[in-house]
Amino acid sequence: MDLFSNLALGFQVAASPTNLLLCLIGALVGTLIGVLPGIGTIATVAMLLPITFGLPPVGALIMLAGIYYGAQYGGSTTSILVNIPGEATSVVTTLDGFQMAKQGRAGPALAIAAIGSFAAGCFATVLIALVGQPLTSVALAFGPAEYFSLMVLGLVFAVVLARGSVLKALAMIVLGLLLSTVGSDIETGAARMTFDLPELADGLGFATVAMGVFGFAEIIRNLDFGASADRELVQQKITGLMPTRKDLSDAAPAIARGTVLGSILGILPGGGAVIASFAAYTLEKKIARDPKRFGRGAIEGVAAPESANNAAAQTSFIPLLTLGIPPNAVMALMVGAMTIHNIVPGPQVMKNQPELVWGMIASMWIGNLMLLVINLPLVGVWVRLLRVPYRLMFPAIVIFCCIGIYSVNNAPVDVVLAGAFGLIGYWLVKHAFEPAPLLLGMVLGPLMEDNLRRALLIARGDAMVFLTRPLSAALLAVAVGLLILAVLPMLRRKRDEVFVESEG
Amino acid sequence: MKLLGGLIAARGVAIAVALLWSTSAWAADQDRLDQIDFPVRTVTVVVPFARGGPTDTVARLIAGEMAKTLGQPIEVENVLGAGGTLAATRVAHATPDGHTLIVGHMGTHGSAAALYPKLGYRPDKDFEPVALLTEMPVLLLARKDFPPKDMTEFEAFVKAHTDNINVAHAGFGSVSYASCLLLDRLLGVDPTAVPFNGTGPALQALVEGQVDYMCDQIVNAVPALRQGTIKAYVIASSERDPAVPQVPTAIEAGLPRFRVAAWTGLFAPRGTPEPIVAKLNAAVSQALDQSDLRLRLTDLGGIIPRADQRLPAGLARLVHNEIARWDDVARGSVP
Amino acid sequence: MDEAPSGVRERSVFPNWIRGPQDFVGGLALMAVAAFALWAASDLGGMHGFRFGPGTVPRLLAVLLLGLGAVIAAGGVFAEGERLAKFHWRGPLFVGLAILSFAVTIRPLGLVIAAFSSFLIAALGTPETRWGETVLVGIVLTAACCGLFVYGLALPFALWPVALTQ
Repeated sequence: MDLFSNLALGFQVAASPTNLLLCLIGALVGTLIGVLPGIGTIATVAMLLPITFGLPPVGALIMLAGIYYGAQYGGSTTSILVNIPGEATSVVTTLDGFQMAKQGRAGPALAIAAIGSFAAGCFATVLIALVGQPLTSVALAFGPAEYFSLMVLGLVFAVVLARGSVLKALAMIVLGLLLSTVGSDIETGAARMTFDLPELADGLGFATVAMGVFGFAEIIRNLDFGASADRELVQQKITGLMPTRKDLSDAAPAIARGTVLGSILGILPGGGAVIASFAAYTLEKKIARDPKRFGRGAIEGVAAPESANNAAAQTSFIPLLTLGIPPNAVMALMVGAMTIHNIVPGPQVMKNQPELVWGMIASMWIGNLMLLVINLPLVGVWVRLLRVPYRLMFPAIVIFCCIGIYSVNNAPVDVVLAGAFGLIGYWLVKHAFEPAPLLLGMVLGPLMEDNLRRALLIARGDAMVFLTRPLSAALLAVAVGLLILAVLPMLRRKRDEVFVESEG
Repeated sequence: MKLLGGLIAARGVAIAVALLWSTSAWAADQDRLDQIDFPVRTVTVVVPFARGGPTDTVARLIAGEMAKTLGQPIEVENVLGAGGTLAATRVAHATPDGHTLIVGHMGTHGSAAALYPKLGYRPDKDFEPVALLTEMPVLLLARKDFPPKDMTEFEAFVKAHTDNINVAHAGFGSVSYASCLLLDRLLGVDPTAVPFNGTGPALQALVEGQVDYMCDQIVNAVPALRQGTIKAYVIASSERDPAVPQVPTAIEAGLPRFRVAAWTGLFAPRGTPEPIVAKLNAAVSQALDQSDLRLRLTDLGGIIPRADQRLPAGLARLVHNEIARWDDVARGSVP
Repeated sequence: MDEAPSGVRERSVFPNWIRGPQDFVGGLALMAVAAFALWAASDLGGMHGFRFGPGTVPRLLAVLLLGLGAVIAAGGVFAEGERLAKFHWRGPLFVGLAILSFAVTIRPLGLVIAAFSSFLIAALGTPETRWGETVLVGIVLTAACCGLFVYGLALPFALWPVALTQ
């Protein structure tokens, strides 16, 4: 069969000793840089891109794939250990991952993230090989109207995953959306709420806001309790490094569901992977027998989004390879690397250089395997990092965050802005507002607004376009349904409380 | 980190070898340039595009060659924001000693003057032009089932159906935005412009048939064109391009004034001494004559300027003309 | 999460009719942000025909936020809720200053000075800092950052003050 001969060709290329080594080095270096708190996935890949320049094209791309997976896993590690997400897709991982770390279960959290990613990687690799080409038509069926509806659905996920008040989560989403409108207007170039600051002309960067409301705010909040108090508790409590049998059996179905969801959503260029991790988390929380465990260290809350974002990372290669269109910033960097190596991505590559495409697909799987090989033993090392006294760890995190943010654009103002968002994030936490919905609003905001405007432009102002296009209507229906599901229990609870009070 | 160190050391050896090789080459004029005490440290070239894009690649390739000639490392720094105008603002105010340069382009040193009312620099007055680097021709692209068969039919069709036509562009201020604005003025039409965030999404919408046509640089469009998921009516330059030889030029298609190239040029801050500019210019020119580099640039779809087009005065003239032209276009008149 | 020192019952600055000061203040702050956004976006064009102007979406969102803020603040008046959390000044001040110092010094003074001085300023954020060990770790960390980012990854950072290298 075609598939197997293709995959065989791929593995033949990827499993050559040199390429295996390159993949290993890439994954290792990617993990090591990505694990520095404050240096996100995109920054890591951008920093490491030049070391692949001197290699032959196949080797370079394989190494880059390794770097990408390494960086992504490194980002998940910081999400779990110090509550600093490396990119938008690992924001959800902080919710339960960091709670697990606080309970002394950082080891199992890290291990399950690696195992979930590997399982997802295996499935997604086969999926790409099997149905990569036909799946492209799914991406092509998505026009501006569909994207807008998908983004609405994504924001509903953010409401559902909120731990506290739904109202406050909604407010945070709207604030995130509002922040995302800062910058040049895509249609007219008008500077929106930039206060003539040139650095704001392209809007607030994800890294800036994320490092602020998660990284800096977390540090400041920890200092409130005195640097040692809370932390030493964490260090004493470290139980096992590896997940127990119960952990594994709890996580397995979540991994499976996360993988499927991630694989499907990853195909959609622009926002697919972000929504995948949020969607997977929401799904777990919705079907769990006891949703209250979520946000308090539920292992499914780490397993599902980590599998989903890895599956999505994998399948996001599909639009790149079949259409030549990079679906996100990291893929755009990959395209850049390909151009430097004289490869124009697109279906042409599939036909003319099958060894390259299939080699890369095979190397994705190998990259995932490498991650498992590298990271399971390293779990102990990362967890031991938690034993570093916090009075030394927090200034180091501050420095890494500063360097990470500065390296994105070489703009000092970005660092100042991140600091300001740190103080804002501190204020928000003190008033029981959650930062995760804010970040999701910020990431999805531009996609939502742009697609809304595009859809209306093309429909000449007819808002019915969102309902008359079947796919868009279906997505909106799911969104409304989920929102009702999210709000109903809250109303019911309120009623119950009222009951209790009047009785007592 | 050993690997990284090794790679960097290897690069150092390569530079040294190239230096030894190149010193044996040329004569009298070179002597004059050699006596100039420049560069004395690392030269920073600011690229107003993301790492890995076509312009960044061009800049890195050329900078790599120039570093060999100049004998000092060249660092490429990517500064993004507001169509590259942030990068240009920064370089305009840098020390004019030749150690800080910018790869300016059709946007930063042409259309930006007309499109951004609060520009923090004057493209023609705040820089010393060094040399033209490359030109990338622009194509007029359409979805594959767009009815018109050639440019004449296109013109008639667009005029007849203006209200129903959607034109994609890659965002305000982009090459694709400016080029199609020029086309609109030349045809005297005002179709609905649908903004996208970058070339990729705009092209995808074209492939999907959600929009009718767009303009874009050749390098971005070639994969989809070869695959047949979109079609091209005209190339906005004076010669056909080897990458898409079947596409007629603007003159052949009967729209001679539709000529746009996404050109890039090297600029230094105003006040950079003439000898330094001359030395930089010579280094660029030497890089552009290097056969490996020519091959790579041509593969990227770039047109390499002839020796006589590379002089600073030529670039100054180009900037002057571009500012005037895009000013006309932005104000709604036909240039 | 009782942050007030035990035994000392702090008097709330809020009158009794505000039953949830935390939500009340939170809601009011959101309303202030929304009002500020409305003002900041007031110079942007609105709808023309079926086209959205640059100001349409920001204003829409600001109004929505204003409404949500009002509802949350109202909730703080009518529903029993959390008291205002206690703020500390030391952590926010010195971490903020460290970040600011990095931003101000990285360009003119280079990575070595920027990283090391920010490290020390951040360390002021807790009274538990032991200076001997902090200075030592600061030096090691600064050296590691220089090695990794400047030599290892060749990022375009200056190591030393620009004035010295020119």
